[in-house]
Amino acid sequence: MGHGNRTKRAVKKSALNSVIVCRCEEISEDEVRQAIKNGYHSPEELKRILRIGMGHCSGRGCMRVVARMIEEIAGIPIAKLQFPKSRPPVKPIKLQLLGQYRYESENS
Amino acid sequence: MSRKTADAVIVGGGIIGAAVGYHLAKAGFKVTLLEKKFPCAGSTGRCIGGIRAQFSHELTIKVMLLSIKLFQNFKEEVGDDIEWYAGGYLFLAFDEERKRSFLKAIEIQRQCGLDVAFVSADECARIVPGLNTEGLIGGAWCPTDGQANPFKVTFGYLKRMRDLGSKVYTETEVVGININKGRVVSVVTNRGDEFFAPVVLNAAGPWASEVGRMAGVSVPVTPDRHEALVTEAVERCLDPMLVDYRSDGCYFLQHYGTGHIIGCYTPVPLVPGYRLDSSDEFITEMPRRMIRLLPKLSSVKVLRQWAGSYEMSPDGNPICGRTSIEGYFVAAGMSGHGFMFGPAIGKLMAEMITTGKSTIDLSEFRLDRSFTKSEAMR
Repeated sequence: MGHGNRTKRAVKKSALNSVIVCRCEEISEDEVRQAIKNGYHSPEELKRILRIGMGHCSGRGCMRVVARMIEEIAGIPIAKLQFPKSRPPVKPIKLQLLGQYRYESENS
Repeated sequence: MSRKTADAVIVGGGIIGAAVGYHLAKAGFKVTLLEKKFPCAGSTGRCIGGIRAQFSHELTIKVMLLSIKLFQNFKEEVGDDIEWYAGGYLFLAFDEERKRSFLKAIEIQRQCGLDVAFVSADECARIVPGLNTEGLIGGAWCPTDGQANPFKVTFGYLKRMRDLGSKVYTETEVVGININKGRVVSVVTNRGDEFFAPVVLNAAGPWASEVGRMAGVSVPVTPDRHEALVTEAVERCLDPMLVDYRSDGCYFLQHYGTGHIIGCYTPVPLVPGYRLDSSDEFITEMPRRMIRLLPKLSSVKVLRQWAGSYEMSPDGNPICGRTSIEGYFVAAGMSGHGFMFGPAIGKLMAEMITTGKSTIDLSEFRLDRSFTKSEAMR
């Protein structure tokens, strides 16, 4: 299951005529705007309903844009927003490579 | 302090609170749901989304048969596509004792009408191409079990609930519950609001014992830390949830909608407490266990790891029903199965609250039971 086996999917229709905000999950500006208008005013909720920030970059590419859109549309200052926690591994790593590492104990 | 009223107040915005809230709203109740962070912030949003009726208790199986029906009909009834997919559940047996325990459960499951069988190791490899069958005796296989997206289910219920005139408050923590003469009166929040309602439901998941204490009710639910990981999306390579119950086993499935592989394992010994950080032990151990079962996954990349709480009851079965305080209900202690129980528990608890009786008798799950009948397929 190498790179050649990744899910091959067409660009979503909704993404064709709009600016892409989340490149990993192909979430368009329109989709984010609509979700904020529907009352989802936190990055945490938008992540869960749109998958924004759940892809390869873990939100590094899109979360600041999302935050600016929330501020602009919902009027909540960026400083007051709670952002999703960054999770390891920071970059995608193959299962095999991770499994080769022998973990000893919490304190070693 | 602002005073508000409702027909029912639900504490907790996970799957249980959302499902009960939706069914109450559908029955004409004005519901107020209070969530201390955001919907799915607790256990629901951290689960991997498996749904099964393969349990060892008759009541649990019956509840799950109802739940599966509700997952199947979700789009028609509630309105959202929740990515339900009947890929089945395959429980692997690597020793005779496990096989016996599966056979015993299968007998009860079949009596309840579940399409389930113990199949050979070769059959397991047919169901999961590429499965490493070394040491495998066979597996308990149910093709009607499946998966769905926990976020879409929870947000779907909450949206319909709002459309029906009920209210959802996020970032709103319950800090007190007022009781008068053995009856629930109101709920106080950290925002200084007081909600008066004749019905209050404790659906606080891992925090159910704290929310119980606020009403003077002892709810024996304790959090156990479980970790999970998700890989990048790959082409379809795994249909069912694969469950390996060995002490160094694991369980994982491929998300039908997206192609991500999501899995976790039960740590030995268990890790009680609310800590939700990610451990190096899990991120190195889990890949080994996954590759051992399915070697073809070795070059798939891990995107993310996280942790969540199993909200354990003493016997691994839910705690649902009335309490010693009139009007104060509890639906918690789902013991790692809250997402899959959610739709059925939502419907049945709402029936109990609105009519005094549920169409499936949940008294075996009542709070004041003896907690001696342990669930074998936890």
